[in-house]
Amino acid sequence: MRIIVPIRQILDPRGFTVSRRHERIFVNREEYIINPNDKNALEVALRIKDTGGAEVIAVAVGKPRVDDALREAMALGADAAYLLTDEALAQTDAAGAAKALAKAIEKIGDFDLIITGQETLDTGDAQLGPWLAEYFGIAQVTNVREATVSDGALRAKRDWGTGYAEVEAAPPVLLTVAPGANKPRYPHGGRIMAAYREWEVTTWGAEALGLDAADLEPLTEGRGRTFPPERTLGERLTGSPQDVAADLVQQLRLQHVIK
Amino acid sequence: MDLDYLQMLMGEEEVVVEEEGEGYRNIWVVAERVGDELAPVTLEMLNQAQQLASTLGAYVMAVLVGGDETLAQELIYHGADKVFLFDDPALKDYALEPYIKALGDLFAEKMPEIVLCGATDVGGELAPRLARRLDAVALTNCTGLTLDASQRTLVCTMPVYDGEYSEVVAFSPEVHPQIVTVQPGVFGLPYRDEYRSAEVETVAVDLDGAQPRVKVLNVVAEAEREPVPLPKARIIVSAGRGMGDAEGFALVEQLAAALSGEVAGSRGAVDEGWIDEEKQVGMGGATVRPDLYIACGISGAIQHYFGIQDAKFVVAINRDENAPIFKVADVGIVADAKEVIPAIIEALEA
Ligand SMILES: Cc1cc2nc3c(=O)[nH]c(=O)nc-3n(C[C@H](O)[C@H](O)[C@H](O)COP(=O)(O)OP(=O)(O)OC[C@H]3O[C@@H](n4cnc5c(N)ncnc54)[C@H](O)[C@@H]3O)c2cc1C
Repeated sequence: MRIIVPIRQILDPRGFTVSRRHERIFVNREEYIINPNDKNALEVALRIKDTGGAEVIAVAVGKPRVDDALREAMALGADAAYLLTDEALAQTDAAGAAKALAKAIEKIGDFDLIITGQETLDTGDAQLGPWLAEYFGIAQVTNVREATVSDGALRAKRDWGTGYAEVEAAPPVLLTVAPGANKPRYPHGGRIMAAYREWEVTTWGAEALGLDAADLEPLTEGRGRTFPPERTLGERLTGSPQDVAADLVQQLRLQHVIK
Repeated sequence: MDLDYLQMLMGEEEVVVEEEGEGYRNIWVVAERVGDELAPVTLEMLNQAQQLASTLGAYVMAVLVGGDETLAQELIYHGADKVFLFDDPALKDYALEPYIKALGDLFAEKMPEIVLCGATDVGGELAPRLARRLDAVALTNCTGLTLDASQRTLVCTMPVYDGEYSEVVAFSPEVHPQIVTVQPGVFGLPYRDEYRSAEVETVAVDLDGAQPRVKVLNVVAEAEREPVPLPKARIIVSAGRGMGDAEGFALVEQLAAALSGEVAGSRGAVDEGWIDEEKQVGMGGATVRPDLYIACGISGAIQHYFGIQDAKFVVAINRDENAPIFKVADVGIVADAKEVIPAIIEALEA
């Protein structure tokens, strides 16, 4: 059983503060972490490896510093890691990254499962998983909480509306894991040294993946940021219980505090 | 009174969509059903689509997979200028492969300029697959949509880092269709106009080779929610001594349930024995940072405030207008919590 886990490295939110008043982000410590939801995905893969055996391969796109995230993935239990990096790959957007990952997965070959996080914290993007499933023309199960493999069949428990569903599919299957679906493990003591000192991260550039500049041309462009309104404390709602209740619920919805 | 006469009275005419035209055109809404009804986000998208359409000089097209004529009419009442209805009984229940085939084939033929899907379980898995199938890209979980009219591109607001701020991202002009998923509850509901009339076109799809690949073994519609540890909870409703008795405390539990949030308490509530000590918020208890903290009958002592200063939005309900909690609340309600809480629960369910 070969499981591929795409991983994204993001700026650690503990290292920056968001000022609503200045509409700015102040980075105090520029540190990077694995997108937490991707760690949930890796955890699902590692639990399958723990119970039935599997080869878990981590793949990431980005700048050379992403090497660190892949080494962490190996320390956690991944058996091999691939970093897709060069100048063009470091600058592409979600669509370009998805293409690069697809080509890399093709090149690695013979996979049974691809397991991704449902979304990335730093861009809000939630398209990678189903995009890859479409690329390979395979089954997908999104919003997964738990997954097991037995007798060659994949079984998963997934969020579904206000409840959940249990589903089954024959590999190859793509899974996206719900944010917070599990508690990711800590790196294994013995693996940490090896992951950072001994093991190799294979590096591929765009050319090795058969992609040219046009393939990686961004399809979207950033137009800045917006910030939630500054908090104004001390507003009072008055009127009958029904009136204040209606005002409150409307305000919570407008401020996106509730859905 | 016959319908034509009524329509004349109302000054309404049937919307006639001119389908001739070159290239990518019109705004398409992928309708979603929940049980026998349209999902609220579908109606919200029709509202937003109408506004975008008037700027672009485009029509709002809705596509309904597996619904019926009644629901198609509802789409028209809420703003669709034309509805494409896949009424094949095989499409009644959602399954990815047949749905994506139906939508993919239709869009390949009709060449939409913009496609809106709900950022829901279903929309969230259809949109990225459509993006890949149609050689485009999707922008997901949007809470704002505007137009760059000069380029005819959508400019989308996407919350990041759990809503700490949002990235604003535009499609490049060469991307077609521009596919987005829209978060529920962000855009208002449109006015329902029963006199609006437009065409419903029934369409069929060849489902050969589009059999579902995932077998659903078991569905549990309403799962018992597992309690979230307070430091991680997104919504917390917290009781203080002011709730008076166990009955008052039960109201706080009901409000928490209505919001799918967690119940907590001040030291006052713990001392009264209504709630376990491990649910105490404050200096001697948990430090929390939810999106929403509702303090019910809590005075707001400094030791309590200590635990909630990182909450993103605080609502205080207290009978005493001079209670310190009001100084740290975004919204304060001076009232008897036992009267207001049932009204809030009702307003949430409305
Ligand atoms: C070392 C130390 C540590 C502490 N740690 C904590 C801690 O971790 N957490 C904590 O909460 N406290 C803590 N405290 C206690 C704290 O000082 C307060 O005593 C406590 O928070 C008061 O709880 P309360 O607000 O529920 O009760 P009260 O102070 O009695 O307030 C009750 C409030 O309810 C209002 N009210 C009454 N009836 C109604 C009604 N029908 N509708 C609406 N409002 C009504 C009243 O106007 C009043 O404001 C600590 C104290 C010390 C000394």
